Amino acid sequence: MTIDSDVVRHLSEAQVSVELETGDMTLNIGPQHPSTHGVLRLVARVDGERCFDVKPVIGYMHRGYEKLAEVRNYPQITTIVNRIDWVSGYANEVPFITAAEKLMEVEVPERAQYIRLILTEMARISSHLVFNASYPLELGAATPLFFALRERERVLDLLESVTGGRFHPNFNRIGGVKPAYGSGSNTRKQIQDLPAGFFAETRVAMDQVAEAVDQLEDLVAGNEIILARTRGVGVLPPEVAAAYGVSGPNLRASGVPFDLRKTQDYLPYDKFDFDVITAPNGDCWDRWHVRLQEIRESTKIVQQAIDSIPAGPLQAKVPKVIKVPAGQTYVRAENPKGEMGYYIVSDGGQGPYRLKIRSASFSNISILPWILEGALVPDIIAIMGSLDFVLGDVDR
Amino acid sequence: MTQSPSETEAHPLQGFVDGVAAAVGGTAEIQFDTAKVRVPAEGWVEAHTTARDQHDLVFFSWLSATDWANTVEAGDSLADEVEERIELMTALSDLTEGRLVIFSTDLDKADPRIPTLVNVYAGANWHEREAHEMFGIDFEGHPNLIHLYLPDSFVGNPLRKSYPLLSREVKPWPGTVDVEAMPDGADEPSRENPES
Repeated sequence: MTIDSDVVRHLSEAQVSVELETGDMTLNIGPQHPSTHGVLRLVARVDGERCFDVKPVIGYMHRGYEKLAEVRNYPQITTIVNRIDWVSGYANEVPFITAAEKLMEVEVPERAQYIRLILTEMARISSHLVFNASYPLELGAATPLFFALRERERVLDLLESVTGGRFHPNFNRIGGVKPAYGSGSNTRKQIQDLPAGFFAETRVAMDQVAEAVDQLEDLVAGNEIILARTRGVGVLPPEVAAAYGVSGPNLRASGVPFDLRKTQDYLPYDKFDFDVITAPNGDCWDRWHVRLQEIRESTKIVQQAIDSIPAGPLQAKVPKVIKVPAGQTYVRAENPKGEMGYYIVSDGGQGPYRLKIRSASFSNISILPWILEGALVPDIIAIMGSLDFVLGDVDR
Repeated sequence: MTQSPSETEAHPLQGFVDGVAAAVGGTAEIQFDTAKVRVPAEGWVEAHTTARDQHDLVFFSWLSATDWANTVEAGDSLADEVEERIELMTALSDLTEGRLVIFSTDLDKADPRIPTLVNVYAGANWHEREAHEMFGIDFEGHPNLIHLYLPDSFVGNPLRKSYPLLSREVKPWPGTVDVEAMPDGADEPSRENPES
């Protein structure tokens, strides 16, 4: 595209507005780009400042977990599934283990269910804090990153003290959770529990996180630039979101009060009092705000769970060699990114005959061609970032 | 929490699923809290349109398939002989009470083809591309049926049971996989080997 110097002179002299013709250009974004949270490539047709026909190209991180699961047994698969969405590794394990337990008809002890719930909510807090760190950064505000990551470190330290891993806990066992080191006797025969002081420290950390959420809200919500860049940008109507399978905070930001924690029984969420956060407009701002408020709700759930956690064993009695009876089941859970589910086809063996992994980010970013149609080029990053995806969760 | 198929008490989903099955001309089955409606392949698109418009199943969760095969190249074989087929499934949900129904239909393994759902649920686009490359299913009328994850030049359908897993061909499991063979040639089985 060249602008004729005569045209420019003509414009400046005659003071008339002339529509300049703009030509099509194909713009490649990625696969290496700091704001893609991994390796996502976008091919967009750009006309001036607007982009059309955006085609996401994925698969740069495809690891073939569904095939790998077919040659592994159930305990081995938990190590795979917590690598799907590595920002909330713990939360990925729970629906998979629950599905296997459902087929085996194992009753999980209540204390183990509470521990799963507490750790799942802490994984959600950690994931949402990463979003709250990176999203303002993508829009040019660096300070919230330090607030959010400081709080996330508190949560990860506690997760690590229980599971031994910051990102890949591999803490769930069929029938319960792994007894942790650090409390009581360490002989295998005796029941062990979470590390001493874990609950007290978690309470303090949750208070601090809740306080930091208020600070983050003050810091980001009052920022004129962030408001200008997110309000009314990337609006996602609820019916479009549903047809594409967009779930989790992205769906709730479009005004749909749907939360699998309220409707499914994979963990005892019905015992706790918390709100399903929604927002009316479905724009980038709402998606950010929903996630921020969900952190507050999660801290409430953790506090309540610690108040009422029952005593008892951490493990149900299960055979030493896990064999899952023949059957099929689908268990889905509300993960930080949205609906995460596992469809297991078992034939009575030590591993599944087929494992379908439904990951949230895959459906969440399949909306990109729709939502980026006609968007301004600078808004691509604002919209993409607001969907909060992780490429490991997209490519599986 | 668990519900086995042997229990006679009606499942809370039973009434709803029976209604869906009757409306789309399929048969309903609830197994381990998971409702599945088998529909004939001819009525695939109509069944989904009905489910979406009349039964509130507006949320498109996923689409995938299972390859039912008697000889497998990777993983364990089935205990009993089955009819060779590809079972195509979609999971649909409402957005109020969290009721989920899996629609399933059987496709001919030699030439699996079925009309696309893209015009009913826009989100089926990527899922069908994935099922196309992984199982070789041809979705008729799909606007862009190219590889999603795999490179364009990739040959084969990796999630078919006839497709071997290369890493297991090179290094079989279980075997002396965790411990290298003893240098003096002693034939000691690995301590990590669960089968020994």
